[in-house]
Amino acid sequence: MAISPSASGVSGANALASSLRSYARDHAVHLLVIAVLAAYPGVYAVAVNSPFSAEAVALLPRVETMVAVLYFGLFAVSFDFVSGYTGYLSFGHATFYGVGAYLVVLTANGKIPLLPASTPFVLLLVLGGLLAVVFAVIIGAVSFRLSGVYFAMITLGFSQVLYVFVRDWGYLGSNPRDGVAVTGRTEGFEIGVPGVDSLSLAVGQLTGDTVELLGVVHLTAAEVSYYMVGIVVLVCYFAMQRVVHSPFGRTLVAIRENEERARAIGYNTFYYKLGAFAISAFFAGIAGGLFAGYRRSVTPESGFYFLTTGDALLASIIGGFGTLAGPLYGHLFDEGVREFLSKGGSGGGLLPYLRENVGQGTMETVVYNGMTVGETIDVFLNGRAALYVGVVFVLFVLYVPNGLLGTVRDRLILSDRDD
Amino acid sequence: MTSVVLALSPFADGIPLFLDALGAFFRPSTLFGVLVDGLAKAALYVMIASGLTLIFGLMGVLNFAHGSVTMVGAYLGGLVMVLLVSQETGDPTRLLAFLLGVVVVFTALAALGGLLEMGLIRPIYDRPPLSQILLTFGLTLILDEFARIVVSFYGLQPISEWQAALATKPAALGQRHDLVVASVSGLKLFEIACGILTVVVIWAFLTRTRYGLYVRAGSEDSEMAAALGVNVRRVFTVVFALGTGLAGVAGVLLAWDQSWGASVPLAVETLLPAFVVVIIGGLGTFRGTVAAGLLVGLIDATMTWWFQNAIAFTGLPEMTIFLVLVVVLVVRPQGLFGVEEVGGH
Repeated sequence: MAISPSASGVSGANALASSLRSYARDHAVHLLVIAVLAAYPGVYAVAVNSPFSAEAVALLPRVETMVAVLYFGLFAVSFDFVSGYTGYLSFGHATFYGVGAYLVVLTANGKIPLLPASTPFVLLLVLGGLLAVVFAVIIGAVSFRLSGVYFAMITLGFSQVLYVFVRDWGYLGSNPRDGVAVTGRTEGFEIGVPGVDSLSLAVGQLTGDTVELLGVVHLTAAEVSYYMVGIVVLVCYFAMQRVVHSPFGRTLVAIRENEERARAIGYNTFYYKLGAFAISAFFAGIAGGLFAGYRRSVTPESGFYFLTTGDALLASIIGGFGTLAGPLYGHLFDEGVREFLSKGGSGGGLLPYLRENVGQGTMETVVYNGMTVGETIDVFLNGRAALYVGVVFVLFVLYVPNGLLGTVRDRLILSDRDD
Repeated sequence: MTSVVLALSPFADGIPLFLDALGAFFRPSTLFGVLVDGLAKAALYVMIASGLTLIFGLMGVLNFAHGSVTMVGAYLGGLVMVLLVSQETGDPTRLLAFLLGVVVVFTALAALGGLLEMGLIRPIYDRPPLSQILLTFGLTLILDEFARIVVSFYGLQPISEWQAALATKPAALGQRHDLVVASVSGLKLFEIACGILTVVVIWAFLTRTRYGLYVRAGSEDSEMAAALGVNVRRVFTVVFALGTGLAGVAGVLLAWDQSWGASVPLAVETLLPAFVVVIIGGLGTFRGTVAAGLLVGLIDATMTWWFQNAIAFTGLPEMTIFLVLVVVLVVRPQGLFGVEEVGGH
């Protein structure tokens, strides 16, 4: 987003211009994806007001959902960064997400010593990331003595200990089991340059800023949150992408493919694994901070619970294990299906669409033993996304082991070789 | 400074009581009660975990769907008992209904396990171990959601325990009985008996039958066993079926226990302790699983007593189990009875 082809003309220096151009060429797919994602709120707004409004509302995820796709996608990407690239399944990864999220909420409630409730959000994100790094170094130093299933289980053990701890520690809030909400800070969490008001915009469904530009562009709070969270996610993604393509990242792949050989060549694999774990925890912490800043509350289940890691695993497998960007698409798929089959139906989805557009007679037709079409949909589709996501997941493990992005890349590379 | 630390500590409320409680804990009646409690928990843990350890020991598959199978078993067994038992049914008939439930659940879930192994897991044995974990993880999602659909279709709350199944318990198991120095609940004694029976049956199967010999040979070296004429593929299927059947049987027993009960979250509630027990014992050793079950059960019971009497931190027992897991893995990475090569890459 920062570098576009048009920027090359401004610099004047030929060398810089050509390097920028080659950068843009290398990242053509990235630029395309960023453009699509940036255009999404606009497309959604247009589609919802078009003649196909009902279909658009039912099919397209809301912008609010897309914000969740972005921050949880970042968490899934960070999970894939360590699990997909080193082959060590970090089954307690939710710990780092929870650490980042709880740091934001607790600071805003004035519960963290030395940090005032008004600490800038961007600083909190970085601090949350760094705190997650501290946790990762401690957990990793112990856990990386093990491998395979034992590694997955010891990280799970650590995260469950912390989960039970935050669930039952009365200091965190009046009812820690139900989570903690931001109560000590009424203004929104601002992403931007700290201290410069004109360069910061608040995120949040209720507390977010809205933007009016030249009377043409009106951005709602959700759309502002989408762009601001998107910028942070983008920066984090490129940072991780840079690491993956560095010699450090190649070593991680070497560890995944054959750790003994990597060690025989002379790499101290322990430090490489620990480094990857810490980097991944840093970005997971930031993702957790974004989540807490946007939702303004956090529960032990959304933070530390092992099924949160499970969701990241789901996203990684569907999107492509060991392809950095894949988990983002994987999670988009997951959230898309969940919203399409959601129970509330406030943001569109299948059920409200059918209720409005299918005749009452059809809905009340009896299918079997006094059960109407409407009831059948209610029982088997409404809020049952986990069933279908599970089926898709199993099918992916069996038939598409490389995931969406991995398979596409394999195809493209093969066709390149044919040329 | 100390007061600040105390105020921050989750154990703050308990500290004045601590010494009194220490005295009370070492009374014979308390110790005996905790011991029975611990053995009952250990019996349940061993029952939940033994299927998991058999499957892992032979095939190297960490079955994430194990807890879900236990949950399905609890519902299915509960269904059998609810159908057979009415208000007036006497204790012996209720026990017979339980036995019938065990037989039905074992047959049904062993069949399900066999089908799953042949249809889904067999094609991916040559892939890295991760794929099998992932596959069974996907099965968990499907089984849990499916159970939720069926259960709510019949008008039950999927997240709370199935009271009708709890009520089919014989009266003798619901009462407390005086034993030696303390009174203990009948259900706990029944659970201990079931646990011992399970251990003996599995042990006899592994060491006294020809098929058990195949299983042990396959766990040791499946290629060599195949070369010597054992149909290893069939052994795999049979053991997977046995493992899931055992998980289901544990579920039937849990359907009677007030603190577990048949509910959809039971899947996760049993999966995690089962993992802990199997890992602590050492992956794939049945002896280790039994020892670890005892260890975890006794620690759990002790911590539960401390939570009830002195330390006002609700998560104490659950947290201690996972702490034991972490400590054991730090001290002995391969588990108590494990062999180093198993479970690594």
